[in-house]
Amino acid sequence: MNGIGLIMPNGDKRLFLAWLGLALFSLAVLWSVTEPIKGPYMPSDPGVAKDVFYRQVIWMVISYAALVLASRIPLRYMDNVAIPLYLVMILLLALLLVAGPRIAGARRWLILGPIQAQPSEFAKVSFILISANLLGRSWNQGRSLLLTLTSFVVMVVPMVLVLQEPDLGTSLVFLAIWVGMVFWYGIPGALLLGAGSAVVCAVISIYAEFFIKQPWSWWVYFTLLVGILYRVRLNIFAKVVILGLNIMTAIGIPFIWDRLKEYQQNRILTFFDPTQDAFGGGYQVIQSRVAIGSGGVFGTKYLEGTQKGLAFLPERHTDFIFSVVGEELGLIGACVLLSLFLVIILKGIHYATLSRRPFASFLAIGVTTYFVFHVVVNVAITTGLLPVTGLPLPLISYGGSNLLISSFLLGLLMNVSSRTFSD
Amino acid sequence: MTADREHYMRSRMFRLVVMILFAVLLVHLFVMMVTNHGKFESQALNNRQVSRRIRAPRGMITDRDGEILVKNVFTANITVPADCLKNDARDSTFTRLVRWFNLPPEATREKLREQRKRGRSRLVIIPNAPMPQVITVEERSRDLPGVRVETRTRRRYLFGPLLAHVIGFVGEVGEADLDTTDNVSGYKVGDMIGKQGIEAAYEEVLRGDYGKELVEINASGRIVRRVEKFLVPVLPGTDVQLSLSLRLQGAMAEILADKKGCMVALSTETGEVLAAYSNPSFDPNFMTGSISPAQWNALVGNPDKPFFNRIVQATYPPASLYKVVSSLTALKHGLVGRDTFLEPCLGGWSFGNRYFRCWKYGGHGPVDHVDAIVQSCDTYFYQLGQMLDIDQLAAGARAFGLGRPCSGIFAEEAAGNIPDSDWYDRRFGPGRWTRGVLLNNVIGQGEVLVTPLQIALLAARIASSGRVPDPIFVISPHQAVVHPDPLPFPEADLAWCRQAMRQVVARGTGKAAALANVPVAGKTGTAQNPHGEDHAWFMCFAPADEPSVALAVIVENAGNGSTEAAPLAGRWLEAYFQPLVEDPAGPGEMNRSEEGKRR
Repeated sequence: MNGIGLIMPNGDKRLFLAWLGLALFSLAVLWSVTEPIKGPYMPSDPGVAKDVFYRQVIWMVISYAALVLASRIPLRYMDNVAIPLYLVMILLLALLLVAGPRIAGARRWLILGPIQAQPSEFAKVSFILISANLLGRSWNQGRSLLLTLTSFVVMVVPMVLVLQEPDLGTSLVFLAIWVGMVFWYGIPGALLLGAGSAVVCAVISIYAEFFIKQPWSWWVYFTLLVGILYRVRLNIFAKVVILGLNIMTAIGIPFIWDRLKEYQQNRILTFFDPTQDAFGGGYQVIQSRVAIGSGGVFGTKYLEGTQKGLAFLPERHTDFIFSVVGEELGLIGACVLLSLFLVIILKGIHYATLSRRPFASFLAIGVTTYFVFHVVVNVAITTGLLPVTGLPLPLISYGGSNLLISSFLLGLLMNVSSRTFSD
Repeated sequence: MTADREHYMRSRMFRLVVMILFAVLLVHLFVMMVTNHGKFESQALNNRQVSRRIRAPRGMITDRDGEILVKNVFTANITVPADCLKNDARDSTFTRLVRWFNLPPEATREKLREQRKRGRSRLVIIPNAPMPQVITVEERSRDLPGVRVETRTRRRYLFGPLLAHVIGFVGEVGEADLDTTDNVSGYKVGDMIGKQGIEAAYEEVLRGDYGKELVEINASGRIVRRVEKFLVPVLPGTDVQLSLSLRLQGAMAEILADKKGCMVALSTETGEVLAAYSNPSFDPNFMTGSISPAQWNALVGNPDKPFFNRIVQATYPPASLYKVVSSLTALKHGLVGRDTFLEPCLGGWSFGNRYFRCWKYGGHGPVDHVDAIVQSCDTYFYQLGQMLDIDQLAAGARAFGLGRPCSGIFAEEAAGNIPDSDWYDRRFGPGRWTRGVLLNNVIGQGEVLVTPLQIALLAARIASSGRVPDPIFVISPHQAVVHPDPLPFPEADLAWCRQAMRQVVARGTGKAAALANVPVAGKTGTAQNPHGEDHAWFMCFAPADEPSVALAVIVENAGNGSTEAAPLAGRWLEAYFQPLVEDPAGPGEMNRSEEGKRR
């Protein structure tokens, strides 16, 4: 290996190209967000300081280093540090809840001199590592039930801690990654499908009844479920049970709902809808939808989006950055962006399948699930399909912590990819 | 890894789920960005494009010579959004403004709450902001989200108290006048509307009409582009030219400076009000700006009632001024001749079981009709009162314009009271009052009430033989001229009356009003005031033989008309007739040429 090789990441170059594409995409959009609007307008404050762009550039460089490091570090080191790292992270999250500074009503930030970091972002990495460690060992020991259950506990602890910050979006990331990894681990498909679909059915029927007030949307879900069951290879008895479970849930939810006390109903409603009225008339979502919808096929042209440039779009450099993409670059730009993510996700599944070491395989699927959840939920929020919970678009949104860990995780995936054939 | 087949299955399922999720997103994006693109595009346009109402500049008000009395000045208000107080954080926009500009936090908070209650969308936190504060707000707009500098015009009354009662003032539109519809030209919260005087009477003329412009704004409401400046063009308000002369008004104010009362002067030819001043007065600039509660209470609680427009709102008994009306009525009905002697004055007159006193203790002795006016002998008029019918007297008074509002400008104008038999029947019941009331009426006491403007008109009507129209305050745009019915008195009687009034000033009770080279005709009056010192009256016109101006003076609680009111009239007439070197078109100049004609 020569000198130049050392500063290049190891592994599948297509993953690296996807990272590079997304990084450049991010910088282009952040430049636009921090520029005054172009067009027949008087000088107008873009509302987001240029600093944001330059800081992201610096974080991009640091993240590149993290990517290279993660792609080259021997994976067994990661396997070995997984448990101590996890314990440190839990301690840090707990400490944050007790002693963290309260910013805008939440304790999410750790401030060390000039550096501000979100420990919950780093907890995602350590959670993926420890889950891969536990599930990998369990796999080697013939799928020990104890280790599987341990992985559940390991998931619940950071999830609850992060929920207390409060940060619903991030806490759901833990759940989603766990579901993805446990699915990969191989709990019986029928069980997963049954339990999963029942939960999804409950959520959808509550949404349909109480939030969007369009009960027909449950039927869309049900049709989808029937389609999936048709495609999936299961015995007919299991399929009938799953369908029955879903129907009973759909009937049962309003039945139970009516018997709840009002404060209990409200508690459930607030759980689903943390920012008040976010689903219906929330300003952010309305403005975000207007931005994306007005973009059309080709967008308003770079730097000329009015929703962005005239500051109607809130959080346009962080959680709602996808709306800027939609407005200025149109459906085409959004498709390009989603394609870059799809490359990472599909490659992730590919290498998780190919990898012969359980730890590496679980690691790859954990990283993949991380990207799937973040991208799908973020885009769904900005387009108004899901209620607003703070969740960044990885590698694109402004924010050092998330950029760093997303790059690190991608580096780990590249690391796995580099070992699938040599191993 | 073992179980390759199982993993292969799982990876297919995983991929399937991912593809379904992305497909859902893509379909959703397609629906938003292609199918519903138009809807969202117009929403984006609605977001930033607003049509804004542009207030029309209010017309200026000038005096008869074109001197500007009222104009509009630009002021900058620093405003905050209505929900500014909601954020109670320590570093909110509100607390920053308070800290930077050293505002009293509690008082400011209260002021904003008050405005919010009135349904305003933007609240004025600093009215008439000085330039440094305006610059700070503009420069640090990023630290002050939602804070805006709004320039608007403010009414400026250049001569303050001098014209307060005539011109009135503007104020923020009240709830009753608010237009809640979408009508552009209607009044909206925060608009100014004339509240009193000319400002109120000429509201329709002065206000002009709103315009509309189409602008694009950013999220904090700042204008970033003017799309169409003249969506609806603004129609500026029309200027109003008063008939008042600033110079003559100033002379009045100077004369009344330390007195409580009022003076009104009319042109006897056109009915134009040349000057009208009521003292004490107030500064109307207080009413449009921010008046502090202390200042407000001082004004309202002042026992001399500075808001009271004595020109048209105050009613007094006309007292002896009324004698000319009684005389003319008696002459008309042939009850006495122009030089008839009645019973001599011995200091009073017995009627029924009552004794009515003459003002002169000891009496005037034998007086004829002219001397009765010149000496203002009450006894003579008590005897006239016995001959007159009350309805005849009331008709005579009304012919001069007494007993009804005569300006047509002031909403708050009083009618006064000219009682007749119907009035007394209503008041006391039919048959429950006696002719005794007439003995009071005939000398202008009792239930007779008039305003100073009506007295000025009375003098002008006598001077012009009734040709002068109702008082006119505005020259341009033309105020409707109300021509009166011809006086029901023969011209010879009116000429006799003018001569008698000339004698009043030449040798009678009104000597104090005499001028060196202009003959003045007048009549004094001393109105009995049950609440205190008498009110001193004087009415006059001049020059006596070819009148150009009529004047009414009242000084409250001053005492005798001949010593307290007549001298003031003399002083003002002096100013009126004083030739003006700087201003050859002034009334003094006009009069000199008339005098030349007479020679």
